[in-house]
Amino acid sequence: MRTDSTGEYDAPERREITVTVNGEAVTAAVEPRVKLSDFLRSECGLTGVRVGCEHGVCGACTVQQDGRAIKSCLSYAVQADGAEVETVEGLADEDGSLHPIQEAFHETHALQCGFCTSGFVVATKELLEENPDPSREEIERGLADNICRCTGYQNIYEAVERAAAKMRE
Amino acid sequence: MSGSQPTEVAGEAEADAPAATEAGEESFTGTSLPRVEDHRILTGEAEYIHDVTPEDCLHMALVRSMHAHAEIVDIETSEAETHPECELVMTAEDLKAEYNPMPTGVGRIATGASGEAVELPEWSLADEKVRFVGEPVALVVASNRYAAEDVADLVTVEYDTLEAVADGMAAREDEVVVHESIGTNVVDHERIEFGDLQTAFEDADHVVSGEYSWGRISGVPLETAGVVATYDDETDSFDVDCNIQLHTLVDDTIYETLGYDADDVRVNVPADVGGSYGTKIAIHRYCCLAAMASQQLERPVKFEEDRIENLQGGDVHSSDREYEIQMAVDDDGTMRGLDVWFVDDFGAFPRYPINQVLKPLSVVTNSYRIDHVGYEYDLVLTNKTSQTAYRGFGVDPHIYALEMIVDEAAREIGMDPTEFRRRNLITPDQMPYTLPSKNVYDSGDYPATLDRIQEIVADERDGGLLDPDVVAEKREEGKYRGVQPSVIIEPGVSGSDWTDRQRSNREALDSRSREEVDELPEHLRAELREDGTVRAYLATDSSGQGHQTLVSQLLADELEILPSEIEVDYLDSVDAPTEYGSAASRMAVMLSGATVGLAERLVENAEELAADGWGVSIDDVAYRDGGVERIDTGETLSLADLAELDADRDERLTVASYDYDHPALEREEFDDALRRKLPVYPTAAFGANAPIVEVDVETGEVEILKFHTVRDCGTMLNPTIVEGQAHGGIAQGVGAALLEEFGYEEDGQPQAITLFDYLLPSIETVPEIEMEHTETPSPYTETGAKGVGEGGMIDAPASIATSINAALEPLSVDEPADRIPVAPDHLLSKIREAEE
Ligand code: FES
Ligand code: FES
Repeated sequence: MRTDSTGEYDAPERREITVTVNGEAVTAAVEPRVKLSDFLRSECGLTGVRVGCEHGVCGACTVQQDGRAIKSCLSYAVQADGAEVETVEGLADEDGSLHPIQEAFHETHALQCGFCTSGFVVATKELLEENPDPSREEIERGLADNICRCTGYQNIYEAVERAAAKMRE
Repeated sequence: MSGSQPTEVAGEAEADAPAATEAGEESFTGTSLPRVEDHRILTGEAEYIHDVTPEDCLHMALVRSMHAHAEIVDIETSEAETHPECELVMTAEDLKAEYNPMPTGVGRIATGASGEAVELPEWSLADEKVRFVGEPVALVVASNRYAAEDVADLVTVEYDTLEAVADGMAAREDEVVVHESIGTNVVDHERIEFGDLQTAFEDADHVVSGEYSWGRISGVPLETAGVVATYDDETDSFDVDCNIQLHTLVDDTIYETLGYDADDVRVNVPADVGGSYGTKIAIHRYCCLAAMASQQLERPVKFEEDRIENLQGGDVHSSDREYEIQMAVDDDGTMRGLDVWFVDDFGAFPRYPINQVLKPLSVVTNSYRIDHVGYEYDLVLTNKTSQTAYRGFGVDPHIYALEMIVDEAAREIGMDPTEFRRRNLITPDQMPYTLPSKNVYDSGDYPATLDRIQEIVADERDGGLLDPDVVAEKREEGKYRGVQPSVIIEPGVSGSDWTDRQRSNREALDSRSREEVDELPEHLRAELREDGTVRAYLATDSSGQGHQTLVSQLLADELEILPSEIEVDYLDSVDAPTEYGSAASRMAVMLSGATVGLAERLVENAEELAADGWGVSIDDVAYRDGGVERIDTGETLSLADLAELDADRDERLTVASYDYDHPALEREEFDDALRRKLPVYPTAAFGANAPIVEVDVETGEVEILKFHTVRDCGTMLNPTIVEGQAHGGIAQGVGAALLEEFGYEEDGQPQAITLFDYLLPSIETVPEIEMEHTETPSPYTETGAKGVGEGGMIDAPASIATSINAALEPLSVDEPADRIPVAPDHLLSKIREAEE
């Protein structure tokens, strides 16, 4: 958006949206160009949504929108108007006890720097919702859109298998 | 500071710990204590630098060069300045008036064409000329990042483009010179010879030579660089919160640029950093720019690097080398001599990690005994973004090139490549072994490690992935399988004194005295608190290595308390002394030593305090089980009691710190290396890999079916963390060997500026890793631990490359893996050549 040479400037137009985020309705006026990832991080304070590339490769920004895992850097906040979004912050119980997927990642050392972890945890959640007992190949396919630069993935397989077992119990 | 771990997780964690559950009973060190860092990360609460946004914070964006080489004719900022959201625009002209160039520039090492030292400032914004695509030309500040990018778009830069040079070998010709005031692109060069190289090469039965190339790669952590700088007018000082690595060592790159004293620039790194692998030591440009902007505006200024900026012009690429290497070898398989020459393309400015070209000297012959060695490099500049450190710090390409020439030599003398390697391995009775290049390997049984990996390979040959029937069947389909293990060393725990070799008068080093050696210690601090817990402070930063967990394990053992009673926090650059920190596979060893020293001090102090309190002699009390006991009466004072007793004393005894000296300092074995500023790495972890590779000769694609590895890093302080480090290093090695590269067009346009082009290994491309460990303690370190952070990245690329050679042996392909990454098109053309 370029201003003309007279220095006149049209402030960017904003649109009011309401998104249910981790069970709570959030209403805000946002510029249409604001990415969902930025909206969640700045507007909702959910900085557990990590941003690693902003072009849809790394998966760090993965959240669930209406139950489907999406890369929040690839959609705009206005597209989530009326939708339900769940981020990693919505996983642990209110009393602070971890979700079985989070427990499993901890117990198997499936995180190091942790920057990919929110995305992996949410992607795992979707995977296990669809397939409660995935094979290694199915885990591989299910998590192929998330990059981890630290762990070499070995312990992530373990984590998913352990989480699946916990959740089937 | 945020990010000290919540103790409840530690409590839960040690319920899981297998070997030790009660304080003082058994050792926590050596167990796989789950990490105390995890809880905050898993819940999303961890605060990385990108999550830090003070109330009145403004946001910075950068205008970057789209040309690889051009004169800046004019920068037009007036349109940007009229944008209502615009708070500030700065160019080189503005910052030159008030600040200094960054102290990492060419001026520190370059000798020009004339042989004289050349001063050449590197300004944080391009001055008069741009030298790589992505070089920052102007900064703008606005209320948010979106607006800042709008403003940046309004800055118009007029360029006069120049011919660029983007190839290290071509740059040596000096047809295009990146810095005309130097007059040459070869800014540093050294040749060092050890032993009698000439005789070795003259007398040997064969001399083989090879040319190998290592493409430009880097760490590419998932988290990009970030900084929040706040200038305080009242105190005339800065707070610089950022994710720089080694903030207590390289803070000079920030405060010197700003023109302030160290104490006036508080560099603080959050407890959680989203990966670095060496790369983030070089993000100071951003810290400086944000700090300058903050000073101009008297508001906090934040900068979050985006991924394209990071890949294109973030000053964070790493080694980019062409090797020419020769080996002198006898018919009986004796390696007589090795002569290594390479050129390393450092991009437009040789910044902080120039000593990356020297580190390979610490493992110059790898696991082989070769007495006569030549080592020579040209450090050249081109129109590419600058280099930084990356896991392995230049050792990875060296080991790759060396293992390639070993394969070639085996072929020349007609010996089985594994047998050839075995005959030349350094043996346990030769330990500690002094390399011709003067570093010392501490301990290890390399032949046994090779034997073990060969057993694993034998199993694969017997009904496994390499079963002869399967291999034959696969060949029918055009798929060639193979494996070629070797034993590879990971140098650990770098010294610091040698790292300025290139900035020293090298001629004078031979006569330097041992007393002139000046090493940096590792600092650790702790205090006993009135609630009975201990708070320890690291003087370094972490980026996923689990240092908080490690220190709580080590200190719990020394103080005979539970890890859950210890919290570990971090010091900023002002509170911490200048020290080295987390790099060069140092921390396991340095923290082991620092913890022991610190605990001894705390125990002594506790005893003194208790004796004072009871009014008895210090000999009448004893530290036991996390408290002090009065021997005659059996009364005890807990840590909480002691902290309370201490509260009103002028000189607190319950607060202590310790500086652990580098372990090489007290070993005469290292005197030569230390004195001559040759790389000093007193621990030698080692391993042998057997990646089972399959090459599709129709497509040139390589798949790793399984990655076997046998590793030894001395005593494992936390086996799970050790394994994690190895997994991650191997995965990065897979990326280096097969996927990653910062390619450039001839005109200097970068080809990999998104993660669609720079391919990071995914869960689909990283094979199953099957790992075994042996533990040969280091005789040089407090706990027997050796450095472990870089191993996989050092050894995996070489092992994958030799395995590709082995897979294609039946087709007589000439050195199929002569280029890293082994890209399908290149491999395919090699295969086609062989077919013709
Ligand atoms: S930040 Fe969304 S995929 Fe990388
Ligand atoms: S833990 Fe660092 S990127 Fe996955």
